[in-house]
Amino acid sequence: LGIHFDHIWQKTLTVLNPMKPADGSIMNETDLTGPILFCVALGATLLLAGKVQFGYVYGLSAIGCLVIHALLNLMSSSGVSYGCVASVLGYCLLPMVILSGCAMFFSLQGTFGIVSSLVIIGWCSLSASKIFISALDMEGQQLLVAYPCALLYGLFALLTIF
Amino acid sequence: NQGLGMEVRAPGSARGTSKRRIPVSQPGMADPHQLFDDTSSAQSRGYGAQRAPGDLSYPAASATPQAAFLADPVSNMAMAYGSSLAAQGKELVDKNIDRFIPVTKLKYYFAVDTMYVGRKLGLLFFPYLHQDWEVQYQQDTPVAPRFDVNAPDLYIPAMAFITYVLVAGLALGTQDRFSPDLLGLQASSALAWLTLEVLAILLSLYLVTVNTDLTTIDLVAFLGYKYVGMIGGVLMGLLFGKIGYYLVLGWCCVSIFVFMIRTLRLKILAEAAAEGVPVREARNQLRMYLTMAVAAAQPLLMYWLTFHLVR
Repeated sequence: LGIHFDHIWQKTLTVLNPMKPADGSIMNETDLTGPILFCVALGATLLLAGKVQFGYVYGLSAIGCLVIHALLNLMSSSGVSYGCVASVLGYCLLPMVILSGCAMFFSLQGTFGIVSSLVIIGWCSLSASKIFISALDMEGQQLLVAYPCALLYGLFALLTIF
Repeated sequence: NQGLGMEVRAPGSARGTSKRRIPVSQPGMADPHQLFDDTSSAQSRGYGAQRAPGDLSYPAASATPQAAFLADPVSNMAMAYGSSLAAQGKELVDKNIDRFIPVTKLKYYFAVDTMYVGRKLGLLFFPYLHQDWEVQYQQDTPVAPRFDVNAPDLYIPAMAFITYVLVAGLALGTQDRFSPDLLGLQASSALAWLTLEVLAILLSLYLVTVNTDLTTIDLVAFLGYKYVGMIGGVLMGLLFGKIGYYLVLGWCCVSIFVFMIRTLRLKILAEAAAEGVPVREARNQLRMYLTMAVAAAQPLLMYWLTFHLVR
């Protein structure tokens, strides 16, 4: 089936450690297995927390991937394929799954919930932008790439909280 | 070869089984899109012999498991045909998209970096101290936004527009008036106003017969800068109520007015402004009025599009 578990694990570790600089070559093969797994996990944790919102999750991820794909193609000197964008965004959804896992146990609408979701949004978008700029060789644009990713993950967080 | 003749015939002959598609190539011709090898020619005899068991078992293929279907050379070729068709379709889409959306021209407007965005945002909120508003040129083409803070870009307007729609959704959510279709309504109404503005200004530029190097995309970029002020106003309104909203919106309105006047003056009143000659002739006066009208429309639209969000 072409699923390499060690590649998936390596990419997951890159996401989980946003401070470490990423290696540009890890995104050479587009692999959608991990992202699909994380999307389904997100839907499952949302379901367990009582919100049946699969449609919104999939619709939001599709539109968000399209917009970020268009933006990255315009901003970088070399283009990206849609699969690569979807793959990176899906991998960086992992902290969001952790957040919605926490939502199962206690409600996130208090101050602690808002603060932790802001932290998680920052974590997701920093690792996504880190992978993008190392894979696409864009310099001085990390915050510019992180901002639309933060908007997208913010929408996911809104789904999780409300 | 007569035993294998039931697979492929010259065009025009009656079909044997109904499950085969009609071959279209002449015997011996190598057509890359041909679905079948023409086994009536001598070269493909070996291949044809290989295919005979698959062919004879075709009527029974529906009963055999899926593995036989995937191993069937016919479906391999069908997949190859399908993927070449997909590649052709993708080429067609890419070519046509390039006709409607000038991608290389757009890339110029997105060649930004973080320092430029920071300085431009500072300029949008505080344009009073900036002295030189002229865009630098490099051999007859304007320099990329990365290198000159005066150059227009599309990153800030695009991000500001999307953020405005989301902040509008947030504002409506805190007033319990939120629903996803309302968000879509906000987005489309803001987009409609932007299109209307661009068309109105293009029309008036045409009527006044001004020869400027102000392209449509430049105009969209300049008109998109007001969304930054709108976002600031709405956010302050959410945090501090109506007083905060009016204060910040007032400040941003004045800043955008000054910003637009100083930027458009260089573009529309190009000859007069470059030499610093005071405006006397009727044509130049008309251009000046046009610039003032465009700049004055910005604060009005900023108020119009945000006041219903802050209660």
